Amino acid sequence: MSQRPDSRTFGRRRFLKNISLSGAAAMAPAALRADESAAASAAPTTAPMPNIAAETLPPSADPVTQSSSGGDFMLEVLRALDFDYLAMNPASNFRGLHEAVVNAGGNQHPEILTCPHEEIAFAMAHGYGKMAGKPMAAICHGTVGLQHGAMALYNAWCDRVPVYAMIGNLVDADKRLFGFEWAHSAIDPAALVRDFTKWDDQPASLQHFAESAVRAYKIMMTPPMAPVLLSLDAELQENPIRDRERLAIPPVTRSVPPVADSAALAETARLLVNAEKPLIICDRMVRTPAGLGHLVELAETLQCSVVDMLGRLNFPTRHPLNQTGRRAAVVAEADVIVMIEMMDAFGAIHSHADRIVRRSTPLYRPGTKLVTLGCRDLYLKANYQDFARFNAVDLAIAGDGEASLPMLTEQVRRLLEERRRSAFEQRGRKLAQSRKEMFEQAQADATLGWDASPISTARMSAELYAQIHKEDWSLVGNGINVWWPLRLWDFDRSYRWNGVAGGAGLGYNAPAAAGAALANRPHGRLSVAIQGDGDLLFVSSTLWAAAHHRIPILYVVHNNRAYHQEYMYLQAMANRHARGITNAHIGTTITDPDVDFATVARGFGVHGEGPISDPKQLGPALARALAVVKSGAPALVDVVSEPR
Amino acid sequence: MKGTDMRVRDSLRSIALAALLIASLEAVADVPPGNATHGRELYLAVGCFECHGRMGQGGYFNYPAPALAQLQLPLEAFQALVRLGPHDMPAYAETVLSNADLADIYAYLHSLPGRRAAKDIDALNK
Repeated sequence: MSQRPDSRTFGRRRFLKNISLSGAAAMAPAALRADESAAASAAPTTAPMPNIAAETLPPSADPVTQSSSGGDFMLEVLRALDFDYLAMNPASNFRGLHEAVVNAGGNQHPEILTCPHEEIAFAMAHGYGKMAGKPMAAICHGTVGLQHGAMALYNAWCDRVPVYAMIGNLVDADKRLFGFEWAHSAIDPAALVRDFTKWDDQPASLQHFAESAVRAYKIMMTPPMAPVLLSLDAELQENPIRDRERLAIPPVTRSVPPVADSAALAETARLLVNAEKPLIICDRMVRTPAGLGHLVELAETLQCSVVDMLGRLNFPTRHPLNQTGRRAAVVAEADVIVMIEMMDAFGAIHSHADRIVRRSTPLYRPGTKLVTLGCRDLYLKANYQDFARFNAVDLAIAGDGEASLPMLTEQVRRLLEERRRSAFEQRGRKLAQSRKEMFEQAQADATLGWDASPISTARMSAELYAQIHKEDWSLVGNGINVWWPLRLWDFDRSYRWNGVAGGAGLGYNAPAAAGAALANRPHGRLSVAIQGDGDLLFVSSTLWAAAHHRIPILYVVHNNRAYHQEYMYLQAMANRHARGITNAHIGTTITDPDVDFATVARGFGVHGEGPISDPKQLGPALARALAVVKSGAPALVDVVSEPR
Repeated sequence: MKGTDMRVRDSLRSIALAALLIASLEAVADVPPGNATHGRELYLAVGCFECHGRMGQGGYFNYPAPALAQLQLPLEAFQALVRLGPHDMPAYAETVLSNADLADIYAYLHSLPGRRAAKDIDALNK
């Protein structure tokens, strides 16, 4: 065990008593190993000359080396859980595990991702978890680090994404040394994030750790997925293992996602088949690559409208039945609406007026049958209100959306009658025509301001797509409300889009995109992200992490030089008072000086292009940057662009 | 009672809006009388471009902000919409933008180039 001096006796008297050690210790034979000497002998008692070194040297009998540590065993457990990466910003109270990973583990499986901020570490894990379909582990200081990282955990919680979070803590007050070790310790460090993590524990022994680590993994991966947190005692990490033969790592058995009740699905199928204008709305339904295919199968069987709220890519954007761009219209005409894995079912079927008198109005007709299917009802917490407004429905089905879809489709098929097939096909043809018109409208709208400077977001998106559409591309991030890719691009596979932050907390996009690009790397996919300037300023050192770890990703900075959503909100407030917006830029814009993101990127070792304000220069700049990305490195193009 | 009044007012407002939108389907034939140069200055100064784009290309707040270049909406309907502010659009009072100002902005929107043929732009056909 590591011997920490007893602070109660580590005073002047003891100093004088022990100063004879100064010379003796320097010439001491091989020091004791901790695991060879369970109890160190008492300190010598002679009183030689004062010496500064004496104050820093431990008693000679104290062990100075050890042949094993709890961190080594923790590494075994993490390997059993098959983590490829451990994202971190280094911190003293997990130095035991850190050392085990880099030396005992050779920095492989998991490999450490050095992140310049804990928010970056957790957000990388968030983005990776969605794209890879498997979680990333991340670790930080238990107090100061977790406070930095809390925002990213909240985003992952709202987004229902597994993040395996760990923190270091020094539990035993008797073992804490001076000032900062106290500031960096807590009796319940997980309390800070307990409202937005699914489960946490602070194991008291290595066996306890093994079981809690497996339990945490299992809980995290069972829908509804969410972050979990383990607090690792520093002593447990650092001390030698006394009884390795007693320790056992439980087998990792993941829970099968809960499939909805078959009778409820049969009733839903009956409603859908008998409806004149059925509508399916999805948000965070797709968990695996198979999910998108399941929804296509159901929609094509019914020839019904689908609206994708795009928490994940649930449905191909150019599919003829995709009516996302007509949400209000198809909700208004629907007689049955089935909503699957929704973050905000109420919000999706109401219109909202953000005015002095705030109100929400149903978009759907009275009498429309409303059905929800998802894990939302299985697990909620009270404090943070990400569960959205209560929405009364006719049938609420608890179960995993993706896992339940094949059974729902099967039930629909059973009820299909040949005589209705032509009506279904006619419905499908009308929807296909609407989809075609929506796309043509988007193309025509995109021509407006095509040659203008600042560059239109439509042109920025179209120029980017023109250069990647023949590649196996993946849009791993999108700044707030740049909606053109979703209107113009052909998102035909689930990995083409990695969803959004969940909690809409700034500081998500850049690191989550890097995490997703890391997940794309072994597949050879071309990862691109449209990156808001405000978000990048929160976490700009993500660029260094991307360069350091050779993560191939193109950041196209949508540089509107403002926290623009807030700018618009301030404009709305000013207008309420009829005061004009002359001062709405104060506190909302990022000018004077303008940020030169290409120079910032180069400072972090990333290829930087820009600032590009001439639309004619955009295509060539993107081409140069993409060449760098294809060589295996990150690149950035700073596009001075229209606000939206 | 207050709630009922509000619902009645909302209903009237909805009817008025619907009428305006129906009217908008009729193309505006004549060149509007306002001062487009002053309209451009106002369009930028009062923040129309924040959501609708400098070239009237449209954008997004919490709801889509429609394209305004070559706006096919009668001036009176345009003025009424700006005073009301549908969805999350800030309503502009007359003390901030007079009807004459709105006429100038309207003229500016009509001076902007409209949609082109998308088939002529290679990047829009991928």
